[in-house]
Amino acid sequence: MFLVKQAEEVEARMKRIAATKGVIGTLVVNPDGVPLRSTLDQSMTLQYAGQLQNLVALARSTVRDIDPQNDLSALRVRAKNYEIIVVTGDYLMITIQKLPE
Amino acid sequence: KDTATEQVTEDMLKEVVDIFISETDTFSLLDIPGTCVSVDADDADAIIARNSQYEEVCRNRAGHGKDVDRSVQTLNGATKNKQVQSNSLIMVDAGKSVMLMMIFINVLNTMTGNIPNHRTAITSFLAALFKYPAERQTFVSGSLKEVEVDGNSLNTELEWELIVLSEKFQHCLLAMEKSILRNNSQPQLAAYRQLAVLEEPGCPVKPDLVEPRKGGTESSQSPALECLWVFSCELSRGRSVSCMAWNRKNPDLLAVGYGGFDFGNQTPGLVCCWSIKNLKWPERVIHCDSTVTSLDFSASSPSQLAVGTRDGSITIYSVHSQDNRSQIVSSRESPSRHMGPVWQLRWMQQELSSSGEEKEEALLSVGADGRISKWFFFKHGFDCTDVMKLKRIQNTKKAGRNKTETMTGSVLTALTPGLCFDFHPTDSSIYLTGTWEGLIHKCSFSNTQQFVETYSKHFCPVNCVAWSPFNPDVFLSCSSDWTIQLWKQDHSKPLLGFTSAQKAVCDVKWSPKWATVFGAVNEEQLEIWDLNLSILDPVIVQPAAPGVRMTSLLFSSQTDCVVVGDSVGEVAVYQLKNFSVAERSQVNFSW
Repeated sequence: MFLVKQAEEVEARMKRIAATKGVIGTLVVNPDGVPLRSTLDQSMTLQYAGQLQNLVALARSTVRDIDPQNDLSALRVRAKNYEIIVVTGDYLMITIQKLPE
Repeated sequence: KDTATEQVTEDMLKEVVDIFISETDTFSLLDIPGTCVSVDADDADAIIARNSQYEEVCRNRAGHGKDVDRSVQTLNGATKNKQVQSNSLIMVDAGKSVMLMMIFINVLNTMTGNIPNHRTAITSFLAALFKYPAERQTFVSGSLKEVEVDGNSLNTELEWELIVLSEKFQHCLLAMEKSILRNNSQPQLAAYRQLAVLEEPGCPVKPDLVEPRKGGTESSQSPALECLWVFSCELSRGRSVSCMAWNRKNPDLLAVGYGGFDFGNQTPGLVCCWSIKNLKWPERVIHCDSTVTSLDFSASSPSQLAVGTRDGSITIYSVHSQDNRSQIVSSRESPSRHMGPVWQLRWMQQELSSSGEEKEEALLSVGADGRISKWFFFKHGFDCTDVMKLKRIQNTKKAGRNKTETMTGSVLTALTPGLCFDFHPTDSSIYLTGTWEGLIHKCSFSNTQQFVETYSKHFCPVNCVAWSPFNPDVFLSCSSDWTIQLWKQDHSKPLLGFTSAQKAVCDVKWSPKWATVFGAVNEEQLEIWDLNLSILDPVIVQPAAPGVRMTSLLFSSQTDCVVVGDSVGEVAVYQLKNFSVAERSQVNFSW
């Protein structure tokens, strides 16, 4: 069935993302801040979910204040050794990737 | 049970106590009567008489006296060890994770026999379940037992399944995958797009990446090919690449057709659409029934991809979205479909004959049954008309001297397989086609019976013909006879021939940027020729990995990169470096 196939594809894609070179972990968070899926351990998951929730809300309000029609689609935080990529829709998808040398 | 305890006193101890002992009856536990009777007993006579009577009976029995006592020994043979081999049992671990939604769908299926196709029905069911208070919930379904689950975990599971279905999330995933991969392969992508390499602030910049930028103005560095990346995934590994095509509208999308694992008829083929933005996994995967031999994107509707396969059928797919409805139409049921592999397909802008201004797009194909057909859509299907039949021509030796003689001299109506064709870049009614016999015919749409001209020099199948994009009179042809020939339109003998390796040349393409440069792929190496520098040797030679044959070649239109497909399913992208050719828009070949 088409929907089952789609669901399987989504799972396959998530696995591929998590297995890409350099990716430390991925997590999916719902709008309430509850992590739904994560490849990190519990404490790290909660930490990331909690901290990024605030940052994403701030970024979103910034974008919307400037132009109310607009909305935040992605947010990238680049640090010295790794990068956090957040893609937003209804749900937040967060990936932490180690930067190549 | 009362236990009465009495104090035991001194007097009681000195008392005289009377104890009475009596005997019980004898219990008989085992009684075996004897079989011997004394001679003096009363009934001894009767017993003796009976014994003698019994002996009489035994004596009179038939066969008495014939019994002989003998002894026998069984011989146990010596044992011998023997070894037997059998196929080892291959054990495979298979696991599958099942989502709650799939159980629900299966249950509904068995209950009502009607598969719910509507996404909204399922999502509304899940949403309704999701709204229950997060306490102890019972999840009841037709054939499952009543299961009590903890409310919290059920909620998150259901929510996960809800979002997996939503398109927005899938879009999220796509964007995420591309961002991550771009991070990983930033230098190669930048080189492809000819941008400067991003320098990390605070990180030491690698010297060898910066050098080519400075060395670009020097012409003393020799031209070279640098492999930027390789498109390869587990689906395509081991399959041979048979054809490739760029999308006409989106220059980042490359469709690659794969054959089966061995070049046989029945193995299913595969088409993968790769994007420059995702180097690890193709954007679209289409499974075909048989080996894919040719493909082309349409120019007027850029999401339509026509795929020709080895069993002669042409299918048009829509690559717009990855779902089951991607196949638009197939020529499998058409009565006039090709009987052999479809070797090349092309969408061409055709002028409608009556109104000269309008251009309509038509699909043309050449197949191994010797027909060049033009396909058109009608109400429910897909049918074709023959534009040309490639007749086998006798007297090929006279082709150069007198053209009309060979035309009338062809008595045979046998058709010869056509392997390739190419349309003139400016005059869309003229096209060239190469055949199995090594002849190249120039044909016109207005004449479906005869060839306008025939060029013969190759004596093996012509694998590819290509008009030069800069000079409208010149074309190249390559063949399995190890040579590439350069022809001019009105000369029946080639102007130049190129040989460099003793292997069949599979593909030849002109560079879209430089007028005198072309690339050729023979089985063991990729060659880039520049006619300005040398007509005897290729300028760059890139050998293939040992054991691997290169099979097809494409130039990239926007950047100076070359895409090469090989027989193990890998599509490698090379960048031409230090290629300092003066860009001229027109080159005159004068001999």
